[in-house]
Amino acid sequence: MAYDLPPPPVPAASVSAALTTTKVEVTSDYHGQKIVLYGAVFNSTDRPADVVVVVRGPDQPVRIARKVQVAGLWLNSRPVVFQGAPGFYTVASSRPLSEIADYGTLRRLAIGVDHLAFKTPADGAVETRFGVKDLVVSRLGSDYLDYRRAVVRIKHAAGLYDQNEHGVTYVDKGLFRAEINLPTSAPIGRYQAEIHLFQEGREVQVRQRPLEVRKVGIERTIYLFAHERPWAYGILAVLLAIASGYGASVIFRRS
Amino acid sequence: MDVYLPIAEVSVNAPLLIGLGMVVGFISGLFGIGGGFLMAPVLVFMGIPPAVAVASQANHVVASSASSVFAYGRKRAVDFRMGAVLAAGGAVGSLIGVEIFRMLRLMGQGDLVVSLSYLIFLGVIGGLMLTESLGSLLRRRRGEPPEVVKDRRPAWLYGLPLKMKFPRSRLYISVIPPILIGVFVGILSAVMGVGGGFVLVPAMVYLLRMPAGVVVGTSLFQIIITTSLVTILQAGRNQTVDLMLATLLLFGGVIGAQLGARASARFRAEELRVVLAVIVLLVGLQMGLGVFVTPSDPFVLAPGMGG
Repeated sequence: MAYDLPPPPVPAASVSAALTTTKVEVTSDYHGQKIVLYGAVFNSTDRPADVVVVVRGPDQPVRIARKVQVAGLWLNSRPVVFQGAPGFYTVASSRPLSEIADYGTLRRLAIGVDHLAFKTPADGAVETRFGVKDLVVSRLGSDYLDYRRAVVRIKHAAGLYDQNEHGVTYVDKGLFRAEINLPTSAPIGRYQAEIHLFQEGREVQVRQRPLEVRKVGIERTIYLFAHERPWAYGILAVLLAIASGYGASVIFRRS
Repeated sequence: MDVYLPIAEVSVNAPLLIGLGMVVGFISGLFGIGGGFLMAPVLVFMGIPPAVAVASQANHVVASSASSVFAYGRKRAVDFRMGAVLAAGGAVGSLIGVEIFRMLRLMGQGDLVVSLSYLIFLGVIGGLMLTESLGSLLRRRRGEPPEVVKDRRPAWLYGLPLKMKFPRSRLYISVIPPILIGVFVGILSAVMGVGGGFVLVPAMVYLLRMPAGVVVGTSLFQIIITTSLVTILQAGRNQTVDLMLATLLLFGGVIGAQLGARASARFRAEELRVVLAVIVLLVGLQMGLGVFVTPSDPFVLAPGMGG
């Protein structure tokens, strides 16, 4: 990641980090997983350095609707699509983000749930999706912020978005750890842990560590079968059901 | 003992699912309904995404209905010909219904339509059944003779063309009414994610005037065909059938259904209908009244694109 930073003063601070787990295997007793990130800050300058750990899951477009009351009934308004919303997002730091860097910097780096780069297509855009015509993709205008906050709120309630200003703890001078809690509903796919190092409101270094969440064993077999041969999968499911129904009726007749 | 469901992508308690399957299977075998209208709300309450719950329970309904139909079939209590005619209509109806529901979901109105259909259909059918069955139960209690069964079969059943003999039901009627009923039930079952037995049983009793002895078995036979089709369509189009979930449910379901089919012989038909009517009414009210309650969060995630 090359940013147009002024040449760093020498000697610069730097950071290095590692995840205790880089492959999360989803098996039949999967309950979500806690992952620990350890890292060290090498700071020979006299200026304090801040570590911000960001973990992003694969993007999942979000469709969100607002409930409106019509004649006593609560109806959904037409849903709005947000592109580029990560399926999992967590930020950990050792003090509030606003004290670490200014608004513009956080926004540019997409650090913090308020700075996630959700994209809604242009206001009033109409497109055809899944064979449904005239889907209004966005006509939010001033409501944009309400919708955005609602996405964050709902995802936060599901444990998928989190921002913890005490999430990075120092175990020793320069040695820090951060915990990442993946809930069961965290999406499958490639994650990226980014470790940002800030000094005086500037990002001086960023390191990236990949993390993969994948299904293994029978879960993976079923998942792949369902997605690669969907019709055969459906027919098999029905045959299994009829066979077990027949089996039970035979067993019970004899008993 | 929790188990991770690969398609639903949540982990749930396995014995609880087997128990749920067994309870719903028992009710299914007892009343000749699929039981989907009972199971879907519970599964959603357990945190399973509604689309996966509806699709996977269709597969469970196949199993528990099959288990009962084999039992009823041996007692010659299934009118296979009538079931096939109803199912032909049901197949057309569920194809239409799946498409309607897909569009409603994409417009964000899926929840509303599901809630209102539950309220309207379960409310009306439950209410009608309750009035009728309580009435005949009371007459029996008072020692009055049962209502004279006039041959109230409406004339239109006989006036229409395309007549067909249904020897098991002792009927010789046009195939048009059963096919229309099938289409209607098919649409409902796709939209509400249920087998449609709660519509089919009253329709066979009150509209087609089929003999009570074959109603339950025939209804279940039709449900097998419709829900098999729904399972295959949902798996093929939406990949929302969770085999792990369906297996756990049907394991309990087939056992429950056997017990239910046995138990049904011990009760009077009217008594069973009173209980079924109450269950239907309660579920309808519980599902449907939600749309009148002020939501705690005015925003909801709409399904259809992941997330």
